[in-house]
Amino acid sequence: MSISDAGILSRSRIRTIVTSRPFLTFAIVALVWIVASFVSRGFGAYGHLRYLVELAAVIGIVAAGQTFVVIAGGIDLSVAAIVTVAAVGLPLFAIDADPTGLTPILAVLAMTTVIGLVNGLGVALLRVHPMIMTLAMATFLQGLLIIIAGGSAVTASNPLVSWVGNARPFGVPAGILVWVVVSVVVLVVMHATPFGARLFAMGAGPLAAKLSGVPIATTTMAVYGISGFMAGLAGIIVLGMNGQGYVGIGDPYLLASIAAVVLGGTSILGGLGTYAGSIPGAILLVTITALITVVNASPGWRSILFGTLILVLLLLSGREAARR
Amino acid sequence: MSDTSLASQSGTALYLAIQRKRNIGVRSLFLVVLAFLVAYGVLFPGLFTATGFAKFTQSWFPLALVAMAQAILMLTGGISLAIGALVSLGAVVAATTMTGPLGVTGGTLLVCVVGLGIGAATGLIVVKLRLPAIVVTLAGSFIIAGAALLVLPRPGGAIPDWLSNSLAGNTPAAFGVLVVIVLAWKLYLATPLGLSLYAAGEHPVGAYRSGVPVDAARIAAYAISGLLCTGAGLFVAAQTGSGDPIIGNSFTLNSIAAAVLGGIGFLGGQGTMRGALAGSLLLSLMISVMFFLGFTPVAQYVAQGLIIIGAVALPQFRMRAK
Repeated sequence: MSISDAGILSRSRIRTIVTSRPFLTFAIVALVWIVASFVSRGFGAYGHLRYLVELAAVIGIVAAGQTFVVIAGGIDLSVAAIVTVAAVGLPLFAIDADPTGLTPILAVLAMTTVIGLVNGLGVALLRVHPMIMTLAMATFLQGLLIIIAGGSAVTASNPLVSWVGNARPFGVPAGILVWVVVSVVVLVVMHATPFGARLFAMGAGPLAAKLSGVPIATTTMAVYGISGFMAGLAGIIVLGMNGQGYVGIGDPYLLASIAAVVLGGTSILGGLGTYAGSIPGAILLVTITALITVVNASPGWRSILFGTLILVLLLLSGREAARR
Repeated sequence: MSDTSLASQSGTALYLAIQRKRNIGVRSLFLVVLAFLVAYGVLFPGLFTATGFAKFTQSWFPLALVAMAQAILMLTGGISLAIGALVSLGAVVAATTMTGPLGVTGGTLLVCVVGLGIGAATGLIVVKLRLPAIVVTLAGSFIIAGAALLVLPRPGGAIPDWLSNSLAGNTPAAFGVLVVIVLAWKLYLATPLGLSLYAAGEHPVGAYRSGVPVDAARIAAYAISGLLCTGAGLFVAAQTGSGDPIIGNSFTLNSIAAAVLGGIGFLGGQGTMRGALAGSLLLSLMISVMFFLGFTPVAQYVAQGLIIIGAVALPQFRMRAK
């Protein structure tokens, strides 16, 4: 009897996993990869797939912060600007006394975290709508960027940054390793800590959460702080991969981070979702972009294809429940 | 006889009372706009000549249209991130058709049909398929931007000179068009669909159960919004005399900023169109005044960010102080 009980339990458990959004998104990625490798020679090569995941790592790390914010019921439209600020600002913190290059990285991460915290401050204490607060922050940072860079590209001569962008310990690009570490930490924080529980409560019903004793202001600030930190980290990796930072380097990551979150099954309205979905969501986005490049269409058609594919994927995974 | 005059009189009184109440939220905004207008007038006395007024309203006009486009959607509880792409599409369609066999009339019609059609399609997807508006319009912005690139891969095309001169010349024709649009909006609010707009945004479930055509009102809002965007695109093309497939990009964020400055809420049903128009005017004035004061682009960005946050945060503080 206990054996059959266990059998039923595990079977229902398997069913829960198989029908979950993250698993479905992973399945779509696998399917696209398999079909694409038959259609296009070289798509399924290990080197190419590794390159795709390396590109997805940057989106995935930005999406980690975005997932936190979206689950808590907000949205962060300043991530692109923060990625750029990190990539362009890093050389400013270079200190000759530190040959490892760790100090500038820590300084940049601290700076972007503070930017995120200011976002949180505006949302939590000034009660500015997240979209407006982060939008205004992006405008603000755009001005700051012109002061820093003056329109010209900056070159990274930081050994640690180049390592993160180019090194391949054990044959795996360092960017992917960073992403793996980030993913594990994020998943644990999101699903196995009191902070994570507060997050979901706040996103599902801010008032109920507040009345139940969730510290709304500090949680909100923490969420935007995390988003700022992640965007900063992504900016450092992008700088390492490109070797150069310039104004506009972070622009693609705003839409990509939101799309990855939504494709992964996290509700844009908050309170529902998981980073486990955003991970395959990020890989899916990069895969779509790569496929469209393979098709070799004009920029117009490429853009149309990209938008249409996201819409179709949304139909599969992003529907909101009827509210009547 | 006296009954009806009494009824109409009390009707007018009621109307005025309601309008007064609706103005409460935007009164301080109107004062700020007035202050900026005075500042602008002092810095640039040419504002009070016909040409100066025409030029000023022309710089405001497209922003006013996209602010209205965004406000309609936000009133129904939606939002669009495809505003900029639609403006670009309107501009390239106008620039490629008006000097061709379709002529100005055909080109204008085509611009309107494209706006209405894309808007309605977006509305159908959002409403009938129950997908979140912010993500649908995000994906839609790629499709629309791609279509604009297909129509006109690089800046070019042309707008007949007489149209450019009459719309964006030395006469305040743009202001006249705006007045007509605002009057049309007033008329629309009196139709069943227009009446449903606020109800559908404020409380969709309650409205649905009271027999309000919620879905139709929301889809119509998307269609009108699309029309306003491509219309703004047509004007931008007339202003520059040619089409550019990415000219509208900055309008997406500015339309949201203008609507929110104007007191339109994100949850639907809160705010007024006069507020959104004032918000767009404030944004437009802000940019002009900073330009005349000789602000560097950097300072403009910084000031713009601060003013937007301040304008949104201040009413919240006042509400809590009460």
